[in-house]
Amino acid sequence: MKVQIDRRRIWLIIILKSFRPVFFLATGLFFFYIINLPTPDGLTIQGQRAIALFVVCLILWVTGLLPLAITSLLAIVTVPLLGILDKKETYALFGNEAVFFILGAFILAGAAMHSGLSSRIALAIMNRFGNTPAGLVFSIFILAAVLSFFMSEHAVAAMLFPIVLEIAKGLNLKPGKSNYAKSLFLALAWGCIIGGIATFLGGARVPLAVGMLKEATGINIDFFEYTVMVFPTVLIMLLIGYFWLTRFFPSDIEDIHLAKSVFERKMKEIGKTGYMEYAVGFVMIITILFWLFFGKSLGIANIAIVSVVALFILKLVRWKDIEEYVNWGIILMYGGAITLGASMEKSGAAAWIANTIIGDWANSPLLVIAIFSLLTILLTEGMSNAAVIAILLPVGIGMASQFNIEPKLITYAIAVPAGLAFCFPMATPANAIAVSSGYITTKDMAKAGIVMMILAWVVFNMTARFYWPMIGIKL
Amino acid sequence: MKNILLILSTSRTSEDAIEYSVHLAKKEKAKLVVLYIIETELTNEVFDKFTDIGFIGDKPSTQLTEAIMKEYRQRGYEEMGKVQIRAMEENVDFDAVTTQGDFVEKAIEVIGRYKIDTAVAIKRKRSVFLKYFSKSMVDELAERAPCKVEVFEE
Repeated sequence: MKVQIDRRRIWLIIILKSFRPVFFLATGLFFFYIINLPTPDGLTIQGQRAIALFVVCLILWVTGLLPLAITSLLAIVTVPLLGILDKKETYALFGNEAVFFILGAFILAGAAMHSGLSSRIALAIMNRFGNTPAGLVFSIFILAAVLSFFMSEHAVAAMLFPIVLEIAKGLNLKPGKSNYAKSLFLALAWGCIIGGIATFLGGARVPLAVGMLKEATGINIDFFEYTVMVFPTVLIMLLIGYFWLTRFFPSDIEDIHLAKSVFERKMKEIGKTGYMEYAVGFVMIITILFWLFFGKSLGIANIAIVSVVALFILKLVRWKDIEEYVNWGIILMYGGAITLGASMEKSGAAAWIANTIIGDWANSPLLVIAIFSLLTILLTEGMSNAAVIAILLPVGIGMASQFNIEPKLITYAIAVPAGLAFCFPMATPANAIAVSSGYITTKDMAKAGIVMMILAWVVFNMTARFYWPMIGIKL
Repeated sequence: MKNILLILSTSRTSEDAIEYSVHLAKKEKAKLVVLYIIETELTNEVFDKFTDIGFIGDKPSTQLTEAIMKEYRQRGYEEMGKVQIRAMEENVDFDAVTTQGDFVEKAIEVIGRYKIDTAVAIKRKRSVFLKYFSKSMVDELAERAPCKVEVFEE
């Protein structure tokens, strides 16, 4: 038998081997310590327990030592066990409209990918507009953004990545050295990130935030209203993003005719547009129109689920196909986050935190928006954007109720910047994919991304200051 | 006949190391074995990220991982092709091995299999923080290898 000797320093081995059990033991002890502290004035026992659970989830989400979905399941079972909410109420929260909307949107995106419709649109646009080096970067950037308006930004990144990789290869760009390759992969990642905040469909974080808001306050944000509020931020960020991308990584090639042959070969491979692509496209268009114009009256989740049923009636997908395209585990994450948020709100813990910790400075909505958006944009660089929402939104909504600030504004201030993670691969899968290509390093991404992060925060706050009042939002 | 091993990997390549190895093999009248290790940590990380926080299922995640692995393999063939051309120009006997997995384990396995006399490895630049808390893979290889290991700093 082959015996391997661990030759690292002994103290390092001991720390590494004992870290996990010690960490979980310490987290558990900390949880019991918070629960057993004397209950502060103004806080109920249920509120204190909700805070203890909130802290544990915060630690687990930040460290990532458990999968996000498992931490959420832990939250779901602990809420009734600690008597924060009763069992029936807790599990009913999992059936929130937002969870079913997310489910429906994932299935629709899965159908678009399975039919090949999304790849065809991508290739057609790149082939049409990618005639010069700048044109190709622009077409990838805008294409990634526009597709992310209609389907999950992660799905868009995964779908476009092999095409961009082949373009880089076809153009003989040197991994880690070519500026042009760096701009191509960042165009893909940033396009997905910026486009992903434009509608409810770019990621599950916005429906999650809206679901948490509705659960806590009864206030709803509909599909159209959200898009109208956010669109100027998206447009300005797209302009800034393209400008910055082409300045930070000026093109080092002049001719891209070799990329054209990649498009032509790929287009040949996928053949002519078939019935399935037309039909899926038709269902998607009808669904989006219904979300935009009848979302309020019919309910976005209902529309999503009816469209999913339509896909099966028209025999456009099989269940087996859909199973392969949807990450079912992540849906647990969203159900858990809504449960945790509701337990914080209903137990009075969120309001207590808002009163005690945040205090008197929260006297101006603009200042509150600036601070929450800053916190969010910083946190989202290091952790999952859904986890950032699950952590900050209950406190934000609690604070809004305490200080007479419109809770919708806080929801925007957290839900939108939560998607704007430009700097690190661990922040979002689109960045991770770009770095995994080897054409761009983490250092390049961080250097270019930090400017984007600052600009994104400024643009979002400027939009809130000048644009929102123009469309009738009182600050 | 002596055997010289040049160890390249997805993140460790160097023109200087290639030149040095070819000339060393010529000087020693040795056979040059090139080992290209496809590192899987990064692709696994991307796959895990999709599984943990991504919104897409197994199929697109697997396709993505396959696309990355294909790219890494192609880069490996290109690097080995470069070495082969240089070796042929210098009339050096040449052999190539491609593998994927743990850098140190795979390198030691090939050192044993080919009875290598000298291995040439490339060390990446690392931050002071990382240097303090963890040993570089190349340093670990130098400690564990049953032959002399010459290290090139990138």
